[in-house]
Amino acid sequence: MKRSRLLPTVSCLLFCTLASARAQEIPGILPPGLKLPRITLLSMGGTIASRGDTRLNVTNYGGPGAPRVDPEHWVADLPDMALVAKITTEDFRPPQPPPPAPGTAAPTGGAAGGTTSEQLYKVARRLQELAADDTVDGIVVTHGTNTMAESAWFMNLVVSIKKPVVFVGSQRPWTGMSGDGPLNMLNAVRVAATPAAAGKGVLHCMNQNINPARDVTKLSAYRMDTFSSIDLGVIGVADPDVVKFYAEPVRRHTFKSEFNIASLPADPKTLPAVECVYAYTEAPGYLIDALTERGVKGIIVDGTGAGSPTGGPTGQTEAIKRAQAKGIVVAVTARTRGGRVQDTPRRRESGIIPADNLTPEKARMLLQIALTKTTDPKELKRIFDEY
Amino acid sequence: MQRLPSRLRRAFAFLCFATAAVSCAANGALPTVKLFTTGGTIQSKGAHRGKLSEYSDGRVTPQELIDDLPELKTVAQLEVVEISNIGSGGMNADLLLKLAKGINAELAKPGVAGAVVTHGTGTLEETAYFLNLTVKSAKPVVVVGAMRPFTAISRDGPFNLYNAVRVAATPEAAGKGVMVLLNDTIHAARFVTKNNTYRIETFVARELGPLGFADSDRIAFYRTPLGRHTATSEFDISKLESLPAVDVVYGYQEASPAPIEALVAAGVKGIVLVDGSPSFAKAIALAQSKGVVVVQSDRKGSGRVLLSERSAGRGLISADNLNGQKARILLRLALTKTTEAKELQRIFNEY
Repeated sequence: MKRSRLLPTVSCLLFCTLASARAQEIPGILPPGLKLPRITLLSMGGTIASRGDTRLNVTNYGGPGAPRVDPEHWVADLPDMALVAKITTEDFRPPQPPPPAPGTAAPTGGAAGGTTSEQLYKVARRLQELAADDTVDGIVVTHGTNTMAESAWFMNLVVSIKKPVVFVGSQRPWTGMSGDGPLNMLNAVRVAATPAAAGKGVLHCMNQNINPARDVTKLSAYRMDTFSSIDLGVIGVADPDVVKFYAEPVRRHTFKSEFNIASLPADPKTLPAVECVYAYTEAPGYLIDALTERGVKGIIVDGTGAGSPTGGPTGQTEAIKRAQAKGIVVAVTARTRGGRVQDTPRRRESGIIPADNLTPEKARMLLQIALTKTTDPKELKRIFDEY
Repeated sequence: MQRLPSRLRRAFAFLCFATAAVSCAANGALPTVKLFTTGGTIQSKGAHRGKLSEYSDGRVTPQELIDDLPELKTVAQLEVVEISNIGSGGMNADLLLKLAKGINAELAKPGVAGAVVTHGTGTLEETAYFLNLTVKSAKPVVVVGAMRPFTAISRDGPFNLYNAVRVAATPEAAGKGVMVLLNDTIHAARFVTKNNTYRIETFVARELGPLGFADSDRIAFYRTPLGRHTATSEFDISKLESLPAVDVVYGYQEASPAPIEALVAAGVKGIVLVDGSPSFAKAIALAQSKGVVVVQSDRKGSGRVLLSERSAGRGLISADNLNGQKARILLRLALTKTTEAKELQRIFNEY
């Protein structure tokens, strides 16, 4: 507690003098005997690790062959981190594809959309190692923003850890004008270095707000206040004076989770396949049939309103029955995003699992993991109630 | 921020609730919930069903409230304590102390599982926060109101009251401090504020959000508030008959310092500034020189107040992210303990 209060103060005092300092050179003016928290900064890439060709390029960066920001660059570019933590970097980015042949267009799409279960496994295993590593006090993971909520949720479910794990990214590339990356990263490191951040599950910190991995989701394509816990709220803030927590999550996570990366199928390719289907006026059932024929183990239907698939002879409800007859588990989320899918007598009779207030992509991950343990609807319902 | 480790606090909360739960299980009965009524729109009648404002055509007695909701019989055994039957604008220190003492007396009984308080919505957040600081129990306390009177079309009161009693009878609601329930949403008294003059979704916790929801299938909690409250609060009102005078001054362009000067002349013990103005500087210095404590809040409605070292050095207290009316409640209680700036700032940091 004392340390966490002292450091921001020192950091404020020295902000200007240090701006020109070299990476991780600890200035002699820090109080003697002060032990900085040891933070591992683990890169899974993302916009925060991307460079644009100009400062105004905040939309068309990255891609095969494009220059990237290596973890060492962050440390060099952001000397302020040296005042709040002793940083060790680790690089878990996927290998970069070669640049496109001359005259061909580079493929579009953000880096985060390409996160694979192999990468999630690698990072989860590493986090599990770091949990037992006495030389590490907290971990920051960078990630592209598009699917970072899913990745953070995966870690929240399968890594047994009490020390802080904080996911961070940015909406503008590291080189962008008024880029949010540097302050996001500094604050994520501060949160990871805060004792009160321990035991609260995997956290997310961007735009000075701290959200739990379970509830946070991306709500805006480009704005910097994109991450929100929708109808819940932030649990804390990273203000210049102090990192302050106002609430803690209630649902099971990390060290309270019954799941662990070590007990999942060793090969991520053998994780039960679960896919998502969207509901809308006249949404056809044959998309669900296609997944059934493909042999998936679970289907998430992102229902209208309170979690309703479409009806009618060609609708989703009939296709769900056909899927269930083949042993496929079906869970429903609410496309309204705010609000829980409730347990009603009719839904219970239908055997469809209500996915609480999870987004479909998070319900998918929980179902994938839950299906490694059970296919019993009652037990699956319990899992969705508790996590 | 938290003095006790959260596990210890939770264990304590559970123990308190378990005592009540076990004793009612022994009788094979529903949990006993005490209903404290103070009045408000939920206990107001309008001249006709279309009257959604300016309804002052009679009060609803506690018995009418209960008779109106036979469904409550399946949730809890209700026992009524009537404190008042007034609009929330009339709430005052005498009634607050009477209410808090009444709740403490009832919750101290092993057979009581929790308490529900009816209240007008206008100042509901102030009373809820006062109780959050002064109730000496981890048992659930839920403050409830309505945006539409007892007589109105599509009135929200019955479902709000029904859900409030459900939450007060829920073991998981213990140890979460005083809660506010309207519109199916469970809010922490510390975070919640009234955000709209007439809509039924008026109560929000701007950046922090609700703790959970009272849905038909279950009471679903997602958050536990941190910070000190109820059973871990240091404030003791058992021997208090009054509270120190603290008033609120609003800041805006060219705001006159006259209100501050007038409050100092009237002998208040504390002033909460909702935002500020350069024109306040002299009056604030005068107030402080006379021993009046000045707390800085903000009119934006979310976000913490960060004081410059100079302001803090002059004894100004940051209200953290409390709005003016809640900072006033905390300052009134804090001034029963200390007038020392450092200690007051600790209190504003912890509650």
